[in-house]
Amino acid sequence: MPHGPLTLLLEFDDQVRRDQTQTALFLHRRDRRYALDCLANQQRPGIAGWLDHVQTRVPATSRPDHDSRLKPWRRLTLLLTPVGALLGMLTMLGLLFYDGNQQINVTVIIGFVALQLLLAVLTTGQALVGWRPWGKLLSSVPRGDDSKRSQIHPMLAQLQPQLAACTAHQMALAFAVAGWLTLIAMVVAQDLAFGWSTTLRTSADAYTGIVQGLAAPWANWLPSAVPSLTLVELTQFFRLSDAVGDNPARYGDWWPFVAMLWLTYAIVPRLLLLVFARLHLRFQARRLLRSHPGRQSLLHRFATPTLDTGSDLTDSGSAPAAPQQQELHALPAGDALVCWAGAGSEVTDIRTRLQQNAKVLVLQAGGTASLNEDQQTITQLAEHDRPAIILCRAWEPPTGELADFIRDTRQQGPANRVIALLPVGGETPLSPASDIQSAQWLRFVERQQDANLWVCALPAAPSAEARHG
Amino acid sequence: MVEAPSFAVVGHPNRGKSSVVATLSQNDGIAIAMEPGTTRESHAYPLTVDGNTLYTLIDTPGFQRPRKLLAWLEAHSASASDRPETVQAFYNQHRDDPQFHDECELLKPILEQNAGIIYVVDGSVPYSAANEAEMTILQWTGRPSLALINAIGSDDYSDRWENALGQYFRIVRRFNAVTAPFEQHLGLLRGFGQLEARWEQPLTAATDHLEHQRQQRQTDSADLITRALSDMLQLQVTGSIGPTESRSAAKQTLQQRWIDSQRKRERQLRQGVESIYQHHRIQRQEAELHWAGDDDLFGDHSRALWGVSRTHLATAGFGAGAISGVGVDALTLGHSLGAGALLGGIVGAAGSYYYANRLGKWSMGPLRQGHRSVRFGPAADLQFGYIVLGRALNHWYQISHRNHAGRDPVNLATTGEHWISQLGKDDQRQLQSLIQRLCKGTTDGRRHDQWIQTINHTMHAFSQWQQNEATGTSPAQSV
Ligand SMILES: Nc1nc2c(ncn2[C@@H]2O[C@H](COP(=O)(O)OP(=O)(O)OP(=O)(O)O)[C@@H](O)[C@H]2O)c(=O)[nH]1
Ligand SMILES: [Mg+2]
Repeated sequence: MPHGPLTLLLEFDDQVRRDQTQTALFLHRRDRRYALDCLANQQRPGIAGWLDHVQTRVPATSRPDHDSRLKPWRRLTLLLTPVGALLGMLTMLGLLFYDGNQQINVTVIIGFVALQLLLAVLTTGQALVGWRPWGKLLSSVPRGDDSKRSQIHPMLAQLQPQLAACTAHQMALAFAVAGWLTLIAMVVAQDLAFGWSTTLRTSADAYTGIVQGLAAPWANWLPSAVPSLTLVELTQFFRLSDAVGDNPARYGDWWPFVAMLWLTYAIVPRLLLLVFARLHLRFQARRLLRSHPGRQSLLHRFATPTLDTGSDLTDSGSAPAAPQQQELHALPAGDALVCWAGAGSEVTDIRTRLQQNAKVLVLQAGGTASLNEDQQTITQLAEHDRPAIILCRAWEPPTGELADFIRDTRQQGPANRVIALLPVGGETPLSPASDIQSAQWLRFVERQQDANLWVCALPAAPSAEARHG
Repeated sequence: MVEAPSFAVVGHPNRGKSSVVATLSQNDGIAIAMEPGTTRESHAYPLTVDGNTLYTLIDTPGFQRPRKLLAWLEAHSASASDRPETVQAFYNQHRDDPQFHDECELLKPILEQNAGIIYVVDGSVPYSAANEAEMTILQWTGRPSLALINAIGSDDYSDRWENALGQYFRIVRRFNAVTAPFEQHLGLLRGFGQLEARWEQPLTAATDHLEHQRQQRQTDSADLITRALSDMLQLQVTGSIGPTESRSAAKQTLQQRWIDSQRKRERQLRQGVESIYQHHRIQRQEAELHWAGDDDLFGDHSRALWGVSRTHLATAGFGAGAISGVGVDALTLGHSLGAGALLGGIVGAAGSYYYANRLGKWSMGPLRQGHRSVRFGPAADLQFGYIVLGRALNHWYQISHRNHAGRDPVNLATTGEHWISQLGKDDQRQLQSLIQRLCKGTTDGRRHDQWIQTINHTMHAFSQWQQNEATGTSPAQSV
């Protein structure tokens, strides 16, 4: 059985199949890497080398037995070859059967050889065309689901005509060789009386023409195997005549011709066609490999640089946990209102809007204010001990600067006063923060670990009559 | 060799810095949250080609105390010319100061790796002068810088932002980290290359590679879709009915196995496509959010969305591929003559079993010792091919157009015109013949390359259709 291309094809196909479970990214990296290594060593990346490279990393157990899938064919061939030889022997014995009263008909042997030749040509033709009369049979075998599906390797299925031709030729070769050996053995062991006969009214001249034509290939170097006109004339026989010749010795003179005929038209063509069939099989295997879809992608992976966008790297940070469900406090009545980073600067009469006493101090801090101004605000706040309200924009995330401000206010003022953060969702008019916005403020407060630091809800807008009354 | 450029993505907390980096580096593993201070350390995401870095994006924490930092700088600077050194001095001085941890983290790549600055703001919140401290600090570093206006919310103040940013940054661009299409990613990266002359070449190379990679991904996806389509249409399950078993119960078990395998295979395809596009967390998100409510492969919804009309089924194959499909078409023809419509009414009630029953071919083996082998599959209804394909295309489209900053569940809803109308007549025929062949189960994959081509064309058509849907200019043409 042929090795090389066929095994390569099967192994490659297996590898491609196995690769289907891998991510495209991994495959690309692996194969590009191999190609780059090859280029660095001034080699061309090729399939055989690639397989070696890839399979050293495959655990040994999953490595395919070299050609286990060719075994059926191999076994079939091994079985059919002796069968062919046996048949060849029996056939020759049958052809040479001589019951003592009638000669062995050379015409029958010629016909038989012609049949052999015809069959040989047909087998080759079928392999060339790729005709698979049995293909339907194989594909209609009920296939199970996924697992049992690939009983016949799809690549082998495509090579079946060629594989079948190899087996057939080999069997036929065994047949022909065994037949030839039997002939020689019979010649040695018995005296065979060959003659020729035909129903057609052929003259000895014409028959001589035919057999000499057939003997043309060896006429030059083996004249003794070319029947002469005399021999032909002498050995014609007719069923109804019982003339078992005047010259019995001449009947045996046909054997060199018969032996050469068999050798030239049965054995040699088979041999050549067998060689051809094997070459054809290899050629087909190579062709399948060349057109294998996996090969195109592989070559593409060899040639295309791998691009890594940094998508595999993870950062250490993970999304923060949700705040422990905290309710917003009601806004207490305060002494001072700090507008953080310009919050509420566009609101007229902010005290009334927040339902605060008209004497509440309104101060500025953060944002564009300088650190000195912040410090002044803190100093002013320290003089009061009722709650301090810090109005801020809910959409501006609470930063370290705000945390610092709260910490300093706490340290420089009364320790237990309530500091009320009031994040607002919009300023014109003042509107409450959304839940998502509030969440980040609640988490901010949680992180400060200060029981008297509250996040407060915006009081409802006073109705028109309340304002007048 | 020139050192590869780095870009530090900096800004106020919670403005989408990590989102910009996630989208550009196609990394959906970066922590992104509606919480200021999500990112606490700088992280580098290099883009490499065959292991050589072309550029590096660096995600950084946001400014926590910009006023204090600026005050320090102003206090320690003698003249405008020593500003970069003053920033460096600040960094040297406060590297271990927990108070300025975030500031130092974000200055680190700028000062240590000479990174370019990408300043991210949120154009959906009003501009505030409070940001000027940050911008001034960045200006003081003297590094080339670009401002990006992201849009987290739905309000739009970007014009005001653009004016303000223009006074501090030479280049100001708008870029929505979640919705920007791929072409804009490339445009933005080319913009990065404009920051310094020697950065242009690596960034152009990088965008070329990215573009090429995107094409390749589509081809790879076409390959996956083709294979899944082929597996799903040719799927057969076999079982046997024992002498005492009820025939219909056994058949139902078998059919359930078929249905389960089909769903599994589809899931596998989806995972494959997601992995091609580097989306590794979608499955989890989907599982959590149960978006798949009416997204069943065998559900009415799928049929309504992705099935083609009976006329299409019956006629698309005529022409080149018609002769090959005659056998199968007899069945289709039956449907088109009204049998299907008649059955359709009952189907709604009987659910997916009944539907699946029509989907596959039943074949019975001979009776052997009281056991009879039964086989279900391959698919008999061409419509099933179109449904599988439609769902696959839709999923592929959503995934390939999803930015890695996206954290919302994938939304697979569509309405209106059938996508197949975007496909040329020739391709429609090719597609029909492909599905017919697969249904007949007489293929050996030799035409795989040609099929990938066909599927690739359908992907183009589908994208075209989606884009038309989005802009509302679908041509009036019926299938
Ligand atoms: N709709 C929408 N949301 C966005 C966009 N960019 C960011 N977000 C959301 O904004 C929030 C903050 O995004 P991040 O990328 O974590 O912001 P960051 O600047 O890295 O935040 P820190 O690391 O905390 O400084 C997240 O909830 C994002 O989902 C966008 O373009 N559109
Ligand atoms: Mg972040």
